[in-house]
Amino acid sequence: MNSSTSLNEHPAKVTGWQLFLKTVIARAYPRIIGQQREKSWMFFDIVLPLGGVIAYVLVYKAIGAPAEYVGFVVMGGAMTAFWMNVLWSMSSQLYWEKEQGNLALYIMSPNSMMAVLLGMALGGMVATLLRAVAIVLLGSLMFQVQYAVTNFLQLLAVFTLAMAALYGMGMMTASLFLLLSREAWHLSNLAQEPIYLATGFYFPIKSLPFWVALGASIIPLTLGMDAMRQLVFPSGFKIGFLSVGVEIGVLMALCVLFLVGAKLLLGHMEKLAIREGRLTESRR
Amino acid sequence: MASIAIETENLGRIYKIRGSKKEKKIRKELVALADVNLQIEQGELFGLLGPNGAGKTTLIKILVTLLAPTSGRARVSGFDVVDDPQLIRPRINMVSGGESSGYGLLTVRENLWMFAQFYGLSSKEANRRIEELLTMVGIVDRIHTKSSDLSTGLRQKMNIVRGFLTDPEVLFLDEPTLGLDVGASRDVRRFIRQWLEADRSRTLLLTTHYMVEADELCDRVAIINQGRVLACDKPSTLKQRLQRDAIFGIETSPLNGLSAAALESLPEVRKAALTETEAGAKLDLILVEEAALAAVINILNQKNIRILKFNKREPTLEDVFVDLVGRSMEEMEKTEDE
Amino acid sequence: MTTATRHPSRKLTCSSGSGAGKAGPALATLFAEAWRSFRLATWLGWQIESNWADPFLFAIYSIIKPLSGAAILVVMYGIIAKGNFTNPLFPYIYLGNAFYIYAGAMMTGVSWAVIDDREHYKTLKYMYIAPIRIPVYLLGRGVARFITGSFSVIITILGGVLFLHLPFDVTAANWLLFFLSLFIGVIMLAMMGLLLGSISLLLVHHVGFIGDAVAGALYIFSGAIFPLDVLPAWLRPIGFAMPITYWLELIRRSLIGEVAQAFPTLSGFSNGQLLGILVGLSLAFGAVSIVAFRFCDRRARERGLIDRTSNY
Repeated sequence: MNSSTSLNEHPAKVTGWQLFLKTVIARAYPRIIGQQREKSWMFFDIVLPLGGVIAYVLVYKAIGAPAEYVGFVVMGGAMTAFWMNVLWSMSSQLYWEKEQGNLALYIMSPNSMMAVLLGMALGGMVATLLRAVAIVLLGSLMFQVQYAVTNFLQLLAVFTLAMAALYGMGMMTASLFLLLSREAWHLSNLAQEPIYLATGFYFPIKSLPFWVALGASIIPLTLGMDAMRQLVFPSGFKIGFLSVGVEIGVLMALCVLFLVGAKLLLGHMEKLAIREGRLTESRR
Repeated sequence: MASIAIETENLGRIYKIRGSKKEKKIRKELVALADVNLQIEQGELFGLLGPNGAGKTTLIKILVTLLAPTSGRARVSGFDVVDDPQLIRPRINMVSGGESSGYGLLTVRENLWMFAQFYGLSSKEANRRIEELLTMVGIVDRIHTKSSDLSTGLRQKMNIVRGFLTDPEVLFLDEPTLGLDVGASRDVRRFIRQWLEADRSRTLLLTTHYMVEADELCDRVAIINQGRVLACDKPSTLKQRLQRDAIFGIETSPLNGLSAAALESLPEVRKAALTETEAGAKLDLILVEEAALAAVINILNQKNIRILKFNKREPTLEDVFVDLVGRSMEEMEKTEDE
Repeated sequence: MTTATRHPSRKLTCSSGSGAGKAGPALATLFAEAWRSFRLATWLGWQIESNWADPFLFAIYSIIKPLSGAAILVVMYGIIAKGNFTNPLFPYIYLGNAFYIYAGAMMTGVSWAVIDDREHYKTLKYMYIAPIRIPVYLLGRGVARFITGSFSVIITILGGVLFLHLPFDVTAANWLLFFLSLFIGVIMLAMMGLLLGSISLLLVHHVGFIGDAVAGALYIFSGAIFPLDVLPAWLRPIGFAMPITYWLELIRRSLIGEVAQAFPTLSGFSNGQLLGILVGLSLAFGAVSIVAFRFCDRRARERGLIDRTSNY
């Protein structure tokens, strides 16, 4: 074989935020491409979850609930898409990566695990957004949900902060999955119904005892959805847990808490996993 | 004077193994590495040779910052593997044999591009290097094939390119030719040599249990068994230990109860290793003097063991291993399987 | 040199063409293979479902998950009905939700087994080349989920009885009807699971939740948490075509007779008629799932999907 430039040259490599960005894009890529090459998710990730939302709407209709409760279910159903993205496409995804041998390669490379996780989440975002939008549009059309947005800027702020805090929380929990093996899947499974209950996906959180609602507020979607309900539905202000202003403040604090916590916990868990030899084990 | 690329001081690693439900909470400890002291210079192609379960992969995992040692220290490119992993990672890469990493739905190019991004290469540079390296290993015609459609051997070649793509200062290859056919293995070995010769500041640590591979490729070899380094030197120097000895390989009919210990009890027989074969057995003998062969043949006759094949040969690394451990690598791996 | 020892129980026959008879297995061998497949798959499924955590964590998981699912409906109901749990609609919703756990568990259990074995344990290819019956194997893998599902169902009902005054009288229940309905229902759900499992052969890893997703969608059409009368008229036929609808009705009638009578949807049918419809629809779905399996199995082998990994 003749000598080649690839053997002789030393390619330039970026570091810092540029490397962070490259990693995010690179890790999002398999997911985006995968969804284009295998389109079955459109049915299973959009049409079928709509069925679950319709079921809860019809429960409310069967028990004679006021019309705005239908809207709550539609909104809650849409927001579950983001929770599922965090849970399955980010947190517990590390378990699958470990099984395939990719986790070791990620840890060994000079990028940031936060960038890898963010890439995973963003890669699934297309499907997530489609699911959320489809549920809102179709659910609203089917059940003639009435909206009355009182402050669009506040609504945007609430949604953005809730998402940032949620994904920060997802990164924190993902760090736990560095240590786990098969139990990761089961724990993710466990974090569905209890979270739906505690965060009030389908009903106003004010209906729960105060301390339960307050405790559940640590999950960004709790106050995020509560604030959005107040800003979007005509009678929303009656069923709010805290005022929108307070909830925005708490969401900002949660953003900082979870994003900083994610960085610290990911670093700590990585060291722990390296010490205990968990990064490359395959305990199926 | 070349600087030290990889250094270990009294490196040790103990695994705690959980028992099954029946064993309840019994925890056993497995000593994977013990008191490993190595210094690998920049520019070396260093081999780590040993049977399955010797500790080769454990050592590599520690050096690539995936596993922390339980005792001792290790440094790569001058940085400590425990304290400064972030400073080591931009400078290294690793390829394991039998890897299933990557994403099946992505093409060869896409998988390699993705991993290149994790090291900060520009897309343009990455794609150029991908094409060149794939040409060198002979699979550029599969550049747009989904990796799930590749055979095991081609997939391993893709993984090998992944390791070289990011131009590491130190590259770790953990049994890279595992699962490859003879031709592919030869291609990979040739490629490894080319890569090192192109820039002598690069260092490569190769683990293998194929003696021929270590002999052919490595500047120096460390023989490791049960977590300990038994010898470390150039292959030629290691073999010279046995140069004065006479080395014979004898294939026989079934041994009728004859043991290696019985042969070793003969004067002038330094080491004897027995491996069972389909036809009977293979004896690897290291004799102090050729004349000792007569006594060996005598014993075989007494036990009605027929000699099927007989040859005298130059010492190989396999013989060095037998000399150090007392059994052949094949025999050790068979025993471990049982 | 010794010749290779032949297995004493196997004869090697050389078929030369038209003169040779068909090589189909005898019925006894068929049953033996099916039983072996089912037995081993059940054992394997239980091992996988039960040994991922210590018993305490397993118990927590088995209690919290079903109770949370029920609690969502309880809270929704409680807000609107202002705590009036004596209305017959409450036990209707509660019991329907409790037993619907089986639907999710069985459908997911079978379909997920395909993805799990193919992508994670990478053993599906070995199961395929072994002398076992793959559909029976998949059904066996689903049985473990039936067992864990039973824990969830019992805990949910107990929770309802103890904390929400669910009007369930052990002495008044029609246990014969209950166990018969349960038995038929489990087979019916297993066949639906096989249908989804067959489709899973052709799908990628990230739609491995097809079981959960379909169960969630069928929630609407099964009368699990609201009577079918709530559905628009043009959608009700779908519910009437679902065997789960009749199964849940029979379960309710057997456990809390007066609840089912409060809703007119199926009140025109006797228990015997409902059983007949359930058996008929179950057989129909069973036939569909067997045909679907054969089709999907052939397609998967044509496309080389039996051993592919698709996780990204």
